[in-house]
Amino acid sequence: MSELFVVGLSWQTAPVAVREKLAFREDELAPALRELIGGLPVAEALLISTCNRVEVYGVAKPGIDPSGDIRAFLARSRSIMLAEVADVLYAHRGPAAIRHVFRVASSLDSLVVGEAQILGQLKAAYTIAGAAGTAGPVLSRALERAFGVAKRVRTETAISRGAANVSSVAVALARRVFGSLDGKSVLVVGAGKMSALAAKHLWSNGAKDIRVTNRSPERADALAREIDGTSVPWADLELALAAADVVISSTGAREPVLRYAAFKRVKKARRGRPMIVLDIAVPRDAEPKIADLDDVYLYDIDDLDKVVKDNLAERQKSADHALRIVEHEAGQFEHWLRTQGVVPTIRALRNRFAEIADGEVTKALDQLSRKDHTRDQQRELVQRVVQLVINKLLHTPTTVLRGSEADTGALRAEVLAELFALELRAEEPGEVAPEQPEEQTASEKAQA
Amino acid sequence: MTDARLLSVAPSPAFWVAAVGYAAATALLFAVLAGGTRLRTLTLALLTVAFVAHGTDIGWRGTQHVHPAESVREALGFLAFIITGGYLLASTRYRLTLGGVVVMPVALVLLVLARLTPAGAEPENLSTLGRIHISLATIGVAVFAVASVLSAVYLVEDRALKRKKFDTLALEQGGAPLEPLDRLSHRLVWVGFPIFTVAMILGAVWTARLGQSVGRIEYALATVTWIAFATLLVARQIYGWRGRRAAKLTLEGFACALAVLVIYLIRRIL
Repeated sequence: MSELFVVGLSWQTAPVAVREKLAFREDELAPALRELIGGLPVAEALLISTCNRVEVYGVAKPGIDPSGDIRAFLARSRSIMLAEVADVLYAHRGPAAIRHVFRVASSLDSLVVGEAQILGQLKAAYTIAGAAGTAGPVLSRALERAFGVAKRVRTETAISRGAANVSSVAVALARRVFGSLDGKSVLVVGAGKMSALAAKHLWSNGAKDIRVTNRSPERADALAREIDGTSVPWADLELALAAADVVISSTGAREPVLRYAAFKRVKKARRGRPMIVLDIAVPRDAEPKIADLDDVYLYDIDDLDKVVKDNLAERQKSADHALRIVEHEAGQFEHWLRTQGVVPTIRALRNRFAEIADGEVTKALDQLSRKDHTRDQQRELVQRVVQLVINKLLHTPTTVLRGSEADTGALRAEVLAELFALELRAEEPGEVAPEQPEEQTASEKAQA
Repeated sequence: MTDARLLSVAPSPAFWVAAVGYAAATALLFAVLAGGTRLRTLTLALLTVAFVAHGTDIGWRGTQHVHPAESVREALGFLAFIITGGYLLASTRYRLTLGGVVVMPVALVLLVLARLTPAGAEPENLSTLGRIHISLATIGVAVFAVASVLSAVYLVEDRALKRKKFDTLALEQGGAPLEPLDRLSHRLVWVGFPIFTVAMILGAVWTARLGQSVGRIEYALATVTWIAFATLLVARQIYGWRGRRAAKLTLEGFACALAVLVIYLIRRIL
């Protein structure tokens, strides 16, 4: 039977210093997969490498546990000693591996539960494996099912609801005030990394007019280039405030740079347009009194963090429901996987039966076409054909059963009874065993 | 000549459908507000059915020669109809559950007042001018009513954002954003104001023809309503008044208009 496995590490088992040692670039994935399939006892393989996990998913060749080889491969391919990562690498096989990939795709194994990126990353890894020719039928079915499970989890639970980071909260707040962000102007005060991230997020949600101002014009220019915005001289801060819809501030100043007096002065020029001020600096950049102004909505880092924490708590509450979905789907997938081992046998059995039946029916039709038969003769012919088919079908099993050793024979008899739902009755005195059916008796051959 | 009987008896079956529909939709809106977001579609569907039934009732009364502006009492039913229609229209674009729990009980009460209260004396001297005046005033006030609901939602949302008391799911789901609410409310006032102005002028002419005194309280309140909305439009144009200040003034103006209607109704019943 095909057995799914996973070998790898994630944020739960390894710190970033270890994860980065084992990380693969995107262009390294396909060659690594080909090497895996070519050199190891692995029938199918997929490799995913993100900032939070490096994992090999695959299907082992029958009767082999390839986890040791995979571990060694990972260390060798990254030119590190296996001992450096041995403690943080995990391996799952069979049902545990199925559950793992379903959990990963559903973002239940992510650092931020419910985040959407992992599903995209897994799909990208699957595409690469498909292009490299290393994703076979079992792995493909497992991955496609995992994507389906992830969709179900997102639809049926609240696991992905609510902004889970400061940038997303900024976008959600802006949407709450403006509806659409199309055509809105964002002013980034200071050249901090957090504000740059938030500005990028706003840009990708439609706010294309981004202006950056900083005491150091060089840093303002650099950040403006990075986020596709324009830089504004620090001296023009008030002018920029008059035009802005969203202000994100994260300077390193010890004193507030966004003054109440300045907001009062630009109020007339703004003509009552609402404005969101996101102060993510510590110490704070905006004077708290600014919040008293009509149509100005001021939030500091604690406010934003609180929203993030509340949302994450909500997501965690949904995780139990999501895990039940994963468990149910994994059970169904295991069932499908189990049936795959017997499918070739079922197919061969059907073909064999059809072949025997076809042969006898052809012979009977041939006989009927040669001369006219009475109704009784026709009935007799049909009965004989059925008997012949039964005899031929049962010939080999009966021969094997009769020739079996005692233990094996009993076991085979038990299996047969179960497969054909036979009701075995106790042998009555004087009853004799039926003759062994023959493929075709001499008289039948003569008749034919 | 109006058949006075029709003013006091026999609401059509469609009226009962509308009344029950409005009542059920009101209860469902409260349930949606309490977290049953899945009921939202059902609520709007039910409200649509009730709205159509309400329109059918008005149409049926029309076939019996009872004009929607026959009297203040009839106009109240018509007002409820327009308010509900406006709310339904706005709901196709924004999540206005909060507005619904204000609008629907008001619409239900207006409808019940219009159909189930005593008709009082038969209206006298109701000329074409009078009918046009009542019709336009009703439409104008109904448009102001929808604008006021949006303003009320604006104030509640604004307060929540100012106090940082946003519940997390509402923040994610968007609700009704402030700026579009403000814009839509302003546009409605722009639509309602000229209609209300014409109604005021016609009302003054009608009153003069009837030789009634212009010193009645409802005339003064109607003038205050007109001044409030005129101020709102001018101040927005010149000084950029919008947001919280504009929302408050819209509500104040509508409160005056509502007071006018209540006074008319009381006079009619008494």
